[in-house]
Amino acid sequence: MTDLALMFKGAAAQIRAEHQRLSALDCVAGDGDHGSTMLRVVEQLEQAAGADPREFLRDAGWKIMGVDGGASSSLLGTFFTGMADMPGSGETLDCAELAAAFEYGLAAVRRQTKAQPGDKTMIDALVPAVAAFGAGKTVLNGLRQAADAARTGAENTRNLAAKYGRAKYLGDKTLGHPDPGAVSIALLFEGFYRGLAESKGETGNAGRG
Amino acid sequence: MAMKKFINQPQNIVPETLEGLALAWPDQVRLVGSNIVARAKPKAAGKVTLVTLGGSGHEPGLSGFVGNGMLDYSVAGQIFAAPGAPRCIEAIRLASAGGAGVLFIVLNHAGDVLSANITMDMARREGLNVKMILTHEDIAGGKNPDDRRGLVGFLPVYKVAGAAAEQGCALDKCLEIAERMERNMRTLAVAVRTATHPSTGQPIFELGENEMEIGMGQHGEAGTGRMQLKSADETAEIMLNMLLEDLDVKAGEDLLVIVNGAGATTLMELLILYRGVSQLLQAKGIQLARGKVGDFITTQEQAGFQLMIARMDPELMALWNAPCDTPGLVVR
Repeated sequence: MTDLALMFKGAAAQIRAEHQRLSALDCVAGDGDHGSTMLRVVEQLEQAAGADPREFLRDAGWKIMGVDGGASSSLLGTFFTGMADMPGSGETLDCAELAAAFEYGLAAVRRQTKAQPGDKTMIDALVPAVAAFGAGKTVLNGLRQAADAARTGAENTRNLAAKYGRAKYLGDKTLGHPDPGAVSIALLFEGFYRGLAESKGETGNAGRG
Repeated sequence: MAMKKFINQPQNIVPETLEGLALAWPDQVRLVGSNIVARAKPKAAGKVTLVTLGGSGHEPGLSGFVGNGMLDYSVAGQIFAAPGAPRCIEAIRLASAGGAGVLFIVLNHAGDVLSANITMDMARREGLNVKMILTHEDIAGGKNPDDRRGLVGFLPVYKVAGAAAEQGCALDKCLEIAERMERNMRTLAVAVRTATHPSTGQPIFELGENEMEIGMGQHGEAGTGRMQLKSADETAEIMLNMLLEDLDVKAGEDLLVIVNGAGATTLMELLILYRGVSQLLQAKGIQLARGKVGDFITTQEQAGFQLMIARMDPELMALWNAPCDTPGLVVR
């Protein structure tokens, strides 16, 4: 299995363990289906195929957009197709190349949504995760830091009122609950880390600050 | 209260709904590709085609308006969730076969707009001739057009643009007509009782026993204000006055009025409301030139309605009156 496939498998395991919590969070401001959407998203993530990382990422993104999960799956799919547009040959994916790919994925997402940090969306977890990965020394170390940054970002959305997406019409009523999209990003990065760490025989705490 | 709905497996709701639509209206629609509703008989080549997308659970909207005189293709998403770009581009490619270009009509909801924008990127890359129009006429969203959702106003937009396409108008002309219709319409919704999400069985919002909420969106998005439930005439007056002010309607102008049921509000109630609107307009010297009453876009068994007004000119009125034959609307 390639590193990407291991990361995606880990992400799927995280979402499967937490999908009910995601749906419950979505009941606050949405229609309560975010957990089941994410289950369908990670199913596609696991089925991604391709001869090299670029093809693999593009296939993953396109498959995710196809699950018809509204804004969540469109934006997550865009993240992976955006990663596939990374510079370079796209045939390998070392730490610097993965950092560039994450940057490209984030840029693609931000072209499609006007949501800014602080608007209580997945952006609040994705922006710090990508930045933290860029500061990592190895892929594993970067993913650990990215997962921690994403979790903090998601947790901080608890104190924000929604300003974007369907939840914006509820505004202050969303205070006190983290954004389910941001929590999903945190789970994905935690899964990326664990999927890779477990294959390398490292413990869940390896590489922490 | 437990959900009481006649469904089978929750994951089969959308395909089974679409199969039922095609079986019940075999002369109007058929299914192509994956959850794409197409006309039973494709439009002649050389005419502009109309494509839309939207979540399911709002029947007859949106796929119920595929047919002669209105849409060519509708891409149906999951319950209350937009379809992804891969299936939208599939429909756009099919619609491009006629060679006259595609008008892509999108209701302003975050997920739909995202899918549509990604689809438009793909269409440009493939060199397809597609123009997109966003409908956003829900005045509960406030002054910023980006915050105004697309509600039942899709109906006159599909109708006038569809009629123009049928008459052989070029893509730019169809777009101009759709945009003129869109600019001149306003909608406001009110809810009195929640719906259950058919997949999860959960209520999509909470509303007190004797409350109503003006401005609530199609998915339980919060509106502008909750208040004590009022009579039909009082409710119609509050909502109509807000709409008339926002559209800046003057005495002597011609209006199209639509009263759209949310799913569980009876035709009896809708007719009483329509009567109230008609009398109020008469008192203000505004002409109710045309009207429609019925369930065009619903949210399951939600109770409430949408009131839409649109300023009509002779060209828009002629296109509104042109024939169409779809599961959700027939004009002879």
